[in-house]
Amino acid sequence: MEENLIQVKNSAVSLILEAKDQKELDEIKLQFLGRSGKLTLAIKELVKLPREKRPDMGRLANEVKNTIEETIITQEQQVRKTQSKTLKENIDITNPGIRPDIGHLHPLSQVIYDVVDVFKSLGYQAADGPEIETDRYNFEILNIPKDHPSRDTQQTLYLDTHKSKATPGEIILRTQMSAMQGRVMEKIKPPVRVIVPGKNYRYEQVDASHGFEFWQVEGFLVDTNVRLTDLFGTIDYALRKLMGEKTKIKFATTNFPFVEPGVDTYIECTVCKGKGCSFCKQSGWSEIMPAGMIHPNVLKAVGFDSQKVSGFAFAIGLSRLVTLRYQMDDLRLLVNPDLRILNQF
Amino acid sequence: MIAPLSWIKEYVDTTLKPNDLGERLTEVGLGTEKITKIDEDILFEFEITPNRPDLLSILGIAREIAALENKPIKFPKIKTELENITPKKILHLKIQNDYEINPRFTGIIIDGIKVTDSPEWLKNRLIKIGQRPINNIVDITNYVMFELGNPIHAFDYDKIKGKTMRVHQAKGGEKFKSVDGLSYYLPQGAVIISDEENIIDLCGIKGGFNSGTFENTKTIFVRIPIEKPTLIRRVSQSLGLRSEASSIFERGVNAGGSIEALGRCVDLILEIAGGEISSNLYDLKKEDFAPWKVNLSYERLNKILGISIKKEEVLNILKRLNLSPHESGKDSIKITVPTYRNDLKIEEDIIEEVARLYGYNNFPKTLPIGEITTQTVPYPKDYLIDEKVKNLLKASGFSEIYSYSLISEKDLSSFDINSDKVLRVDNPVSREFEYLRPTLKINLLKALIQNKPNFEKINLFELGKVYLGRTLDEAREEYMLCGVSNIKNFYEIKGILERLFEELNINEDPSQCIEIVNDGIIFELSFSNLLNKIKPGKIFKQIPKYPPIIEDITIEISEGTKTGEVISEIKKQSILIESVGLKDMYKNNRTFHIVYQHKERNLTNEEVEKIREKIIEVLRQKFQAKIV
Repeated sequence: MEENLIQVKNSAVSLILEAKDQKELDEIKLQFLGRSGKLTLAIKELVKLPREKRPDMGRLANEVKNTIEETIITQEQQVRKTQSKTLKENIDITNPGIRPDIGHLHPLSQVIYDVVDVFKSLGYQAADGPEIETDRYNFEILNIPKDHPSRDTQQTLYLDTHKSKATPGEIILRTQMSAMQGRVMEKIKPPVRVIVPGKNYRYEQVDASHGFEFWQVEGFLVDTNVRLTDLFGTIDYALRKLMGEKTKIKFATTNFPFVEPGVDTYIECTVCKGKGCSFCKQSGWSEIMPAGMIHPNVLKAVGFDSQKVSGFAFAIGLSRLVTLRYQMDDLRLLVNPDLRILNQF
Repeated sequence: MIAPLSWIKEYVDTTLKPNDLGERLTEVGLGTEKITKIDEDILFEFEITPNRPDLLSILGIAREIAALENKPIKFPKIKTELENITPKKILHLKIQNDYEINPRFTGIIIDGIKVTDSPEWLKNRLIKIGQRPINNIVDITNYVMFELGNPIHAFDYDKIKGKTMRVHQAKGGEKFKSVDGLSYYLPQGAVIISDEENIIDLCGIKGGFNSGTFENTKTIFVRIPIEKPTLIRRVSQSLGLRSEASSIFERGVNAGGSIEALGRCVDLILEIAGGEISSNLYDLKKEDFAPWKVNLSYERLNKILGISIKKEEVLNILKRLNLSPHESGKDSIKITVPTYRNDLKIEEDIIEEVARLYGYNNFPKTLPIGEITTQTVPYPKDYLIDEKVKNLLKASGFSEIYSYSLISEKDLSSFDINSDKVLRVDNPVSREFEYLRPTLKINLLKALIQNKPNFEKINLFELGKVYLGRTLDEAREEYMLCGVSNIKNFYEIKGILERLFEELNINEDPSQCIEIVNDGIIFELSFSNLLNKIKPGKIFKQIPKYPPIIEDITIEISEGTKTGEVISEIKKQSILIESVGLKDMYKNNRTFHIVYQHKERNLTNEEVEKIREKIIEVLRQKFQAKIV
């Protein structure tokens, strides 16, 4: 009996180890463990043994069964591995993949979504406003009366008022996203945290670093106790999130009529890492984010009490941010619909 | 503004290295654009912000450096005491001033001068800052303007007809020839000086040719004008004529600096060109143009800056800026603003002064502590929907473009759009960019054509604004979603839009938005409208517990029959029909894919057979359909 069982085991194991595929293994399984398999039959013989020998033989039969089953499982794994290997060997895996037809999002969109995301995490809500704007929102409310010299830095495109009731010169294409400060704050009470991406227009001749249409995002925050250090902290946080943790940032004083104190923000040039290149006009730094504490005249103009609330505003040149992030040396690339450009993003 | 280091050093002993100095100056607001070495000197090129007329002078720049480095200002003592002169002879001049348009008129007559070339040092200084030397008198007036920041003009006294100067405004259209020989037609309101016959000065911008100082000039009237910023700016804008003087006046000249500037100018003239003072001082004004006071609350300063700077340090900074601070209470500092700092009017202006000299980069960084509001912002925009829509088109093979909003008349006519009915820019940068696009299709089709030489499969889209209305009174901005493809067919585009609508929970047929054109398929739909139609929240439907019965029915119908009508007719036949699709189309044969489903139990073949018979009967009656 004992000999018989061991023989069954040996022949099963040697067959299993020689099996080349799953089909062979299935057959072996049937041949030994099936209803009329060799082991099944041998176990049936056990009843014929004298009662005292049965436990030992039973135990042995069980061991044999386990060994056969385990060997089959191991061999199955082995067979699968070899098979998949052979299948791959039969094809040329260095052939290029067949890609699904998926398009590309414009880099400006990607940057806009990133910016909105960062400021959302700081509690800002996104807004959107008209590009056809009045002189009042674009300039007057922002402490830039007519004939103010700072209008020189924002040469304006005026809309044809012919056949309309509008006064010539009063309706323009907005030159800055700050135009949304008045529109939003007139309709709301502090606390205010708003972010507004959008397109602006200026009368400028087009070259590598200027365009008559360009994208900006404006943000502003007004509350009871807003400090200059909050503005520095917000800019620092946002730029690190957008341009990388190690981005080097420095601040400088500047003047915009709608802020006081006025702040300009520079980041180390992403192209030359501060060494100076044509991209940053050899300065090693790129102007990226003008900002400041909102001027009391602006708060007054929208009906806020500048003794009770204070706030800050900032703008990021989105077109500039895109070109800095992807090291593109020409703003005109952003409006060029060439798929050889778009496919890179 | 160009400033040679050698000139700056005449007024302040700066010890910083040029590059460090440039960096520090930029930090405090005097943007250093370029530092170049020439000969033995270093030239700084600064960008001057519109609020700082004083920095359009070398002394102003020196003062800024003095404040930065905590150094004193040295300035040559003015020898001529204009207010205490006793001229040996008096030449007469009648001045009629209009204080509304010319708040201060200061001047003096010098007789017996000799007009020649300037001495070398003077010529060199002017050449270094990009000025062309003309003659000693003109050069001295220029030099003192660049030194002190007050524009100065010298008239040839003998050429002033009737010895009369009248300040008034142009009626418009008068011809004026400037000292450099160019002629202009003056706009209405230009501030001018006339003698008895002619216009002799375009105030604040350019002097007149007819009263200019040339080689044979013997007697001059030196004038220091104080002009009104808006009047000067308006005229300089409308003439497209800018000068160093007009840049200073636009920003607001140092109205308290007239006597000092005139004194300095007279000193140099007497020294270089000779002559003697031949009139008393003219100083016509109705205000005293004295320094003004601003109060600074120490507590407010720290509250707005977010740090506490020691009081001694605040006082020290203000002293360095020559703002003569003195404590007028426990929390209050009274400041006296010198007249050259026209930009310092309110407390916040003084706070900036302290902050910038303290150094922006020395501040700690904090985040706002206030509460985050739950009120919805006015003009809200949900960028998640934007992103969702764009991602769906991207997944469908479309790439996104951003195109110009401004297009040309030619673009419009290529689309048979009458430019009279499109919003227009009055002063376009070029004819190429004159009209606001009323549709996105024009730019997309151009983009498709542009890509043709390089790509076979082109799918492009844009989500952007169009500008509607024939006149500004009707002007309306609308977001449009527009796409173009040269490889997808009508049904594929329709399917993408159907899937998009499904994503947004909108039940609509996009067929009307799709056009078949020569170059492919183009679609355009109002994204603004779409946003209004989005239904909130999707509601989950249980998945069926029982298996459906699915079958295909092929019928032959006449060519003109609309598949849409057939499908809706089939659907009407039983509530057990879960969905009907078009599986295949060949000649007049159409195969419909029908799914039958009961929610609570298994369907039997008998039930389905009955419905099928009903369907076949209806299709036969309504569409003369034959079962294939």
